[in-house]
Amino acid sequence: MDILYLLIPLSTVLVLGIIGVFGWALHGGQFDDLEQHGAQILQADAGSVDPCQGP
Amino acid sequence: MAASAQAIDRIAAAPAMALLDDAAELARFTRWLPARDGQRTGESSLRIGGMHCAACAGLIEAALRRVDGVVDARVSAAAQSATVQWDATRTRPSALVRAIEQAGYSALPDTAAGARALRLKESRAAVWRLFVAAFCAMQVMMLATPSYISGPGELAPDLKQLLDWGSWLLALPVLLFAAAPFFTGAWRSVRVGRIGMDVPVALGIGVAFLASSGAAFAPGGLFGTEVYFDSLTMFVSFLLGGRYLEMRARHRAAVALEDSVGRLPETAWRECADGSVEAVSVLRLQRGDTVRVAAGQAFAADGVLLRGATRVDESLLSGESVPVDKGVGAALAAGSMNLDAPVVMRVERVGADTRFEAIVALMREARTQRPAMLRSADRWAAPFLWSVLLLAAGAAAVWSVIDPSRAVWVAVSVLIVTCPCALSLAVPSALLSATAAMARRGVLLRRLEAIDGLARMDTLFIDKTGTLTQKESGGVQMIRVDDGAHWSEATLRGRAASLAAWSTHPVARALAADRAGDATAWRDVRELPGQGLEARDPDGTRWQLGRCAAATLDERGLSSIAVDAWLSRDGQPLAGFRFAESLRADAAAAVAALQRDGVRVALLSGDTPARVERIGRLLGLTDCRGGLAPDAKLAAVRAAQARGERVAMIGDGINDAPVLAQADTSLAMGEGAQIARAQADGVLVSNALHDVVRARALAHRSLRVMRQNLVWAAVYNAACVPLALLGWLPPWAAGLGMATSSLVVVLNSLRLAR
Repeated sequence: MDILYLLIPLSTVLVLGIIGVFGWALHGGQFDDLEQHGAQILQADAGSVDPCQGP
Repeated sequence: MAASAQAIDRIAAAPAMALLDDAAELARFTRWLPARDGQRTGESSLRIGGMHCAACAGLIEAALRRVDGVVDARVSAAAQSATVQWDATRTRPSALVRAIEQAGYSALPDTAAGARALRLKESRAAVWRLFVAAFCAMQVMMLATPSYISGPGELAPDLKQLLDWGSWLLALPVLLFAAAPFFTGAWRSVRVGRIGMDVPVALGIGVAFLASSGAAFAPGGLFGTEVYFDSLTMFVSFLLGGRYLEMRARHRAAVALEDSVGRLPETAWRECADGSVEAVSVLRLQRGDTVRVAAGQAFAADGVLLRGATRVDESLLSGESVPVDKGVGAALAAGSMNLDAPVVMRVERVGADTRFEAIVALMREARTQRPAMLRSADRWAAPFLWSVLLLAAGAAAVWSVIDPSRAVWVAVSVLIVTCPCALSLAVPSALLSATAAMARRGVLLRRLEAIDGLARMDTLFIDKTGTLTQKESGGVQMIRVDDGAHWSEATLRGRAASLAAWSTHPVARALAADRAGDATAWRDVRELPGQGLEARDPDGTRWQLGRCAAATLDERGLSSIAVDAWLSRDGQPLAGFRFAESLRADAAAAVAALQRDGVRVALLSGDTPARVERIGRLLGLTDCRGGLAPDAKLAAVRAAQARGERVAMIGDGINDAPVLAQADTSLAMGEGAQIARAQADGVLVSNALHDVVRARALAHRSLRVMRQNLVWAAVYNAACVPLALLGWLPPWAAGLGMATSSLVVVLNSLRLAR
């Protein structure tokens, strides 16, 4: 079970990392409105689609 | 007819729309972004109406982006608002509004954008703290599980040490960041010398963290070997969850109240020196300007009537229920309504000098002098905190005699087991679910403490005009002056109602609403300003509704009869209509119910004492005071407060705003003046006074639930503290007990929401 000595610190650091990612998403406004962006796909003039994925 | 009314609306709105571009109006909903390469970019907030779903947001954004000069447009479906950045050299806000209207939605300047941005910031900060606390708590619990489930000797000491260190690292952000509001709150209340709920919370968290850190880094030392990081983080996330829900309820109420704020700029028609008339924003008016005011419009400033004669509705400002006749030279007050005829006034005072603003200043002063209401929780907190501290200190003293190595450990376990989680959730959770229940029943509360005030009030002051009474429905009294042979009463009333339906004048509206009109096919309908309606029936006979020539009235000996409108045929009056000020349908029942409940109800009104007496007699009230100016009302409320009574106030007018700010608890009518609604602790959305009775019953129930919660928390503590004092309570049991007791409290509170 020596691997625990590596895995426990690793999981702790990972948790802090996840918290950081969530904070970035939250402060970027991704949770301000949970419905609007889902409805965007229904619009006819999808002008803002990523051009890299183009037809 | 409906179409023509819409056309008139549009014509009336056009100058208001152009005024959006006036710099003074612009400042209300636009901020200027730092200039880049010489172009001036404005960022305007607009309130969007008519959005049905989230998909509409994209349509509006697209419509805005098509306008030449729009740099960026963002529409939020949840907030029903748009933020548009535009180039000042290429477009104007009125073009933006027009683009939105062409897309099929309505748009108004959004003056509450600042408050919304503040709410968004507050809500993000709360979610962020809650997430940090809850996520760390879950991980800490995972790291704590091995020491709970392992038997003695199964967990290697160095592995336990590693787990404790991990827990410590994860508890650090909870303590330093997520729990920061508790520490700052505790510090604030200690500094002003009062003990609030934050003090025991902060002390519990702080002591638990210090003791557990000691145990984690120096096991077997002063603080023993037990760590409490899991209880600590769980505790913080429970509390933050409660606060988050509380904030959501507060924000929802604020949004509901804000919905009525957006409006087009108020337009004034200023006469220029050459006699032409221009539309200007009321913010641009200056002393000495000559302004035309159409019938149905509000006066924008205090002033003197120069030309014309009219009647003015001052009920919102003074409580006076009957329109006041104004002739040349009469004083006019900003905020009152011109009822009859277009007039010309000279502006005497604008902005801060008007009577309206003077009332606002009185209200601000009252706000600062309002007696501070102690939250019930704070009354309990002080004795609780002191007994916990004494117990912990006493236990440490006793154990230092018996076994000095365990003294600190026992004191710490006492502090942790009494972690006042249930106690601090007891009151807010009950207040919260009671607020939600009230909102569903039509009483929107802005301050949670108002529940306490509603349940405990001794004296209720009620305003008369607009609160107890209403003007527009019921009670149209007809006085017949014809010979009585030709027309039946029903015919006359029906004829008047069908003619009145052609006008939007308040009197005509009330008359038309009173009963369905007959099917007369009116021709040549004309509305004469200040005179009323004139039309011909199919036979060609001329009918009039409104004023009647004074000479005719004198001739018939009718000039002493006071009526609101005459119905005349060929110039001869047939009947007069008078609007009795009628009590709201549920006013009598509501007042009686409150009096049975032990509340002293008194009338405070600015209307004439005789009319106040009459309404008071109808309701069986003995204490009716009329003719009161806003400061006299304020004095009456202060006198009652000085006698030690807990005072509640219900009002609707601008003149009630100072009293609403002063009273311990205040409610405003939903259809009342904006400033009254903004001042009150709560708003009766449906304007039904019976809601007050039901809200009071609910408030009583929430006080009962609060008391049950507090008793439960006290019993839990009384049971667990002795165990901790004896050193028999392991940390997992303390954590479990804390979680269960919190859950019981929350579930008990949720009963109120049904």
